[in-house]
Amino acid sequence: MIEYRQIHKSFDHPVLSGVDLDVEQGEMFALFGPSGTGKSVLLKTTIALIQPDWGDVRIEGESVYADERTLFRARRKVGYVFQNAALFDSLNVFENVEMGIPEEELRTTPRMDIARRIWEALELVNLEPRVVLPKIPSELSGGMRKRVGIARAIVGRPKILLWDEPTTGLDPVNTAAVERLITRLSEELEVTSLVVTHDIEGGLDMCDRVAMLDGGRLRFCGTPNEFRQSDDPVVQAFVDRAAAERALDMAETQ
Amino acid sequence: MNVDSSAGPIPTPVFRWFRRFGRGSELVFDHAGAIGVLFLSVLRATVRLQVPMRAFIRQIYVMGVESLPIVFVTGALAGIVTSQQGGYQMTGAIPQYVLGSLVVQTVVLEMGPVLTAIVLVGRVGARITAELGTMKVSEQIDAYHSLSRDPIALIAAPRVLAGVIAMPALVGFADIVGILAGMIAANIDSGLGFSSFFYGARLFWHSYDLFYSFAKAVVFGLAIPLISVHMGFRTKGGAEGVGRTTTDAVMFMTLTVLILDAMFPPLLLN
Repeated sequence: MIEYRQIHKSFDHPVLSGVDLDVEQGEMFALFGPSGTGKSVLLKTTIALIQPDWGDVRIEGESVYADERTLFRARRKVGYVFQNAALFDSLNVFENVEMGIPEEELRTTPRMDIARRIWEALELVNLEPRVVLPKIPSELSGGMRKRVGIARAIVGRPKILLWDEPTTGLDPVNTAAVERLITRLSEELEVTSLVVTHDIEGGLDMCDRVAMLDGGRLRFCGTPNEFRQSDDPVVQAFVDRAAAERALDMAETQ
Repeated sequence: MNVDSSAGPIPTPVFRWFRRFGRGSELVFDHAGAIGVLFLSVLRATVRLQVPMRAFIRQIYVMGVESLPIVFVTGALAGIVTSQQGGYQMTGAIPQYVLGSLVVQTVVLEMGPVLTAIVLVGRVGARITAELGTMKVSEQIDAYHSLSRDPIALIAAPRVLAGVIAMPALVGFADIVGILAGMIAANIDSGLGFSSFFYGARLFWHSYDLFYSFAKAVVFGLAIPLISVHMGFRTKGGAEGVGRTTTDAVMFMTLTVLILDAMFPPLLLN
């Protein structure tokens, strides 16, 4: 379970202004909101990639910000999928995915077992390990890079997966494939998933609950059905705009 | 306390000057503090043996071995120019063998360390800032953190340690090349024999000069990668930000090398 309590964050201007949110154990949760409303910032506060000015994040009841040890434990429980994969340019796919395995396990586990884990992680994300393992990130397509990023996030066997705009920059075919992958992985690995996305339809289809941020505050939190039927004009306007953008994207693709 | 309300507002240009001075000072202290913290973090990672040997050796190769050709050229040119200039100035009045001392002292005390440092700023410092800046804006540094890996130990420390090791070696190389080139130039230009050159060089030579040269090398070798790593980690704003930060870093490193160089004589030569 992830608990966000009174998260405040400002850069040049306030981005998050007192966000309270609970993501239950084992659930798939989507976070929507217009661009620049602080979705990714909130996601990054989960493991202190961005430190809030005020507030606390608790993972399984333990504060992430208590001290270095609790932060280390929190990061070990979490797999983070970055918007643009954030693969290490100088490492090949094998070495990139290997970085997802905790250092103590790397020291104590036989190399064959490590190699098998990396192989299985790549197969889970529908990549052909024999083909991609020796490649460096610049030799991969955008979709493949994203999958390698997912493999790196899951190979450490996390309890929680944080997805930062997993479908951004992908064509509709790859978007659908990644969304299916998120659903399948969350079920197979029995993890809690928090997905930050601008793809409302995809998020509503995938997730058990959704929330919407607006102006740095939580505007809505509920089930996908409640979101669709919400009479909040801000939520409705956001849904309408997102639907129009999606239609435009589809038209451009065709 | 009564305030004299008739004093009027502070003139705008004075106010602007104080504001600029205040902001500038704040920026200098901000950078200095952050570089100090980075240095301590690198030291901690080194003492705890967290620095990967493979990355360290690779950085030694990149900074040291790959810099040899350009250091050879700058070292040789420094020696030649010093020799030619000295030969011109000493015509007639001073014994020619003094030229040997002039070339050796100038190359070892000043030209070797400073020119090598300036070369490293452009060749290595700019590269480190651009590389780390790109990693920062593409979230690779965040990825290290998210995987519970320490980017200081994995990225910063190998570069800083390699700078401290490679720089004295490069300065030693530049010193030797500069002296030999100066000696050959003195022979061709002023007709000074090799034995006379060495006689003059030995006449005013102190072993301490070599220590001085290497002390400069170690300090420059620490400062350049520390600043370049620090600037790289601070990069923001995409590709444009990487370019801007790299330019700032080169200016920052060059100024630091020259300021540190100016601090050496009062600290170590008196």
